[in-house]
Amino acid sequence: MKNLNRRSFLGAAGGAASLFLAACGGGSSSGSSAGGEAAADGKNLGVMLATNVMSLDTNLATDGDSFEVIADCIDGLMQMDADGAAIPALAETFDVSDDGTVYTFHLRDASWNNGTPVTANDFVFAWRRICELAGEYAYMMDEIGNIKGAAAIIAGEQSDTSTLAVTAVDDKTLQVELEVPVSFFPSLMYFPTFYPINEEFYNSLDDGTYGTSPETFLSCGAFVLSDYLPGTANLTVTKNPGYWDADRVKLAGITYQVVGSSDNALTAFKNGSLDVAVISGQQVADAEADSELSQNLKVTGAGYMWYLSFSQTEKNAQGGMLGNQNLRLAISNSIDRESLVDNYVMDGSLATYTAVPPQFAASATTGEDFSGDQTKFADFIGYRPEEAQAYYEAAKKELGKDAFEFTLIYGNNEGDEVTKVAQAIKEQVEGNLAGVTLNLQGMTKAERLDKMQNDNYDVALTRWGPDYADPMTYLGMWITNNSNNYGFWSNAEYDKLIADCTTGAYISDYDARWQAMYDAETLVMQEAVIAPLYTKANANLISAGAEGIEFHPVALNRVYKNATLA
Amino acid sequence: MAKYILKRIGLALATLLLIIFVLFVLVRIMPGNPFPSERMSAEQIANKRAEMGLDDPILVQFGRYMAGLAHGDFGKGTSLYYGAPIKTVLGACIQNSFKIGGLAILIGTAVGLLLGITAALNKGTFIDGFCTVFSILGVCVPGYVFLIFLQYFFSYKIKVFPYFFDASRFLYSSILPAVSLSLFTMSTVARFTRNEMVEVMDSDYVHLAESKGMYGSTLVLKHILRNALIPIVTVLAPLVVDLLTGALVVEKIYGINGIGKLMVDAIAGEGVDYNYVLALGILYSALYIGIMLVVDILYGILDPRIRVASGKGGDQ
Repeated sequence: MKNLNRRSFLGAAGGAASLFLAACGGGSSSGSSAGGEAAADGKNLGVMLATNVMSLDTNLATDGDSFEVIADCIDGLMQMDADGAAIPALAETFDVSDDGTVYTFHLRDASWNNGTPVTANDFVFAWRRICELAGEYAYMMDEIGNIKGAAAIIAGEQSDTSTLAVTAVDDKTLQVELEVPVSFFPSLMYFPTFYPINEEFYNSLDDGTYGTSPETFLSCGAFVLSDYLPGTANLTVTKNPGYWDADRVKLAGITYQVVGSSDNALTAFKNGSLDVAVISGQQVADAEADSELSQNLKVTGAGYMWYLSFSQTEKNAQGGMLGNQNLRLAISNSIDRESLVDNYVMDGSLATYTAVPPQFAASATTGEDFSGDQTKFADFIGYRPEEAQAYYEAAKKELGKDAFEFTLIYGNNEGDEVTKVAQAIKEQVEGNLAGVTLNLQGMTKAERLDKMQNDNYDVALTRWGPDYADPMTYLGMWITNNSNNYGFWSNAEYDKLIADCTTGAYISDYDARWQAMYDAETLVMQEAVIAPLYTKANANLISAGAEGIEFHPVALNRVYKNATLA
Repeated sequence: MAKYILKRIGLALATLLLIIFVLFVLVRIMPGNPFPSERMSAEQIANKRAEMGLDDPILVQFGRYMAGLAHGDFGKGTSLYYGAPIKTVLGACIQNSFKIGGLAILIGTAVGLLLGITAALNKGTFIDGFCTVFSILGVCVPGYVFLIFLQYFFSYKIKVFPYFFDASRFLYSSILPAVSLSLFTMSTVARFTRNEMVEVMDSDYVHLAESKGMYGSTLVLKHILRNALIPIVTVLAPLVVDLLTGALVVEKIYGINGIGKLMVDAIAGEGVDYNYVLALGILYSALYIGIMLVVDILYGILDPRIRVASGKGGDQ
């Protein structure tokens, strides 16, 4: 009797279960993956993002992924050509006054995707708002762009934003007054912080909703936002038929997918779910070894440089031991940077021996890369264990100590390779300098920054990415009391050189300024203010049919206006 | 019964309030900075802190926060999704996590119950052994490992499911993560159901019912399963919260914007986002307390003795 009972019960239950599973599976037969579908029609590019897009509000965005999507949808006064040079975008032409302090941009006929024309006031509104919000990138307006009136508004000393010297002369003419000539000012105009926002549209929205959905965002660029909400792991932009340069845009759209890990990115690329993916570490080695995948691999400069920052104050490092120049030089010269990039970073990143990394800033007069010559400071930096030992002996004598114990802090949420690099540095330094102990302490990036900003660390593994194509984006950090001068190094000669380059004697003399920046960099390297390690690269996998994607180490890592997908 | 429920709701609200206060204080003493800027001057950061009222006494800050919360306002992110109101972001993430988690609970409970009942009714046979091995495996193997396997096989090899989550084709792209997430629930429910049922099946009243001629699904569902359900509901409750609040690794692998991933981004992203950590902490707590409340009430329904005992306790 029991057997029969059980069988009848199980029969009914099993039937219910199969009905449920069939119901779930029913929906599945009709669909396919977003990327797969994109690849199939040959026009919609599937692109990987490493992190979520944090904001599409140009006045608030701070990360590269957000900048990329913003630049898909909004144009600046200028844009980058394939080589990274500034060429006209919304500005058809511009004039500069003889003294180099007044820029007049003449806007072309272009419109937002709601049909409203793009006017000079859109820039005035956006730029005033940046200063008023005084967020992360507001410093591009005062410290970098030197726009008159910006500093006081950003510091909160001036509440009237109309004091910002940015004027809409008429609908098509924008005038900008600078405190001093800024030779690279036109190239700042392709940075998303300087993009326009339509005032009328912005004011029609509820507070805090601008840029949070396709309905609350306006495009005047190559693409319009078609599917997005904050926090989403996938978003889509589609070609903007009303774009002023629409003929140039060949893609039907771009489907972005946030992918959290390199191995997942590799599999998704192989699967066809992504046309553009970024991989790192072992996956790069695997791709290189694969005859087919190696054809898809393209290494491009990511721009930012990783370096060691040494706290030189007495508060840290056993009473300020790292204030000793010889000790810093000893550490810097005991690190094998080639080994770091070959064995731990493994994505084509470049071992770096200059305080300004290579491949992002070239001279306007000679075209020469500021740091193209990586041997220019060979007397102060390199993997030179013998010299390191000599510096170390000198340091021991000067400090009257035989053993040193420091803590190296690093962010364990800053990329797979960072922890490995920190471990390798510990091994190399301890191996080359007997008596030095380097304890490792991993933490979140936020905590690392907090410690550095509060001068509560000995040595930190940190990085800086260039915001604009000029060596000053790095050199400006080491002046006395700069908020990024985490080592609290101070040198009057250096401060004067930088002041001369930014506001003083050399601002109108391009070549003299270039030479002065080299002199300043020499001081940084001579004194081992920092120990540069490597310049990060991106190992991209690009599907065979995708062409014309432009990669840049500054401002916008990827630009798709000229991209095609067969 | 009404008094019992009201008392439970009152207790739940008091607990939640206490938790919000503790969370509020804890978040403010966490290491890290709500404005992790490398480009803002100290002055700008000080102005931002002042704008957010972070320099006020903590009780004043708490009062202000609770006033906002009363209007459903969780504030805005400081280092996550700047500018966008938290409830907008949270709303979308909750939807995804709840739907996928809900699906996982449904699959896990249904299949788990089936497996447990099957094993119990076939105690000592090969089927029972199989169910036991399956349960142990399901508890031991994390859901994301199972997801990687499913993703590799179904999305990469035979391409019947998408490789990543796609909110516009929700059900279709939820199958793999939901099935992966359901594994733990399925195994736990199966194990508990089997053990409880075996125990109940040996009790005198079941033998009595059988001797009176009761058999089939009436016996199993009405007498055996109902009594076996109480401990199962107890273990299921926290599992439900876990599943609803998302599973971080699964969300990360499958590209799901859910609240598990949001929580990690809020704590370990670029900066410590006070408002997000707090909003998510409140959400987690409220869910947990809510589910426990439902469990308490369910106990009352499943076993009247509990209700009566509690009722009496309340009168004293």
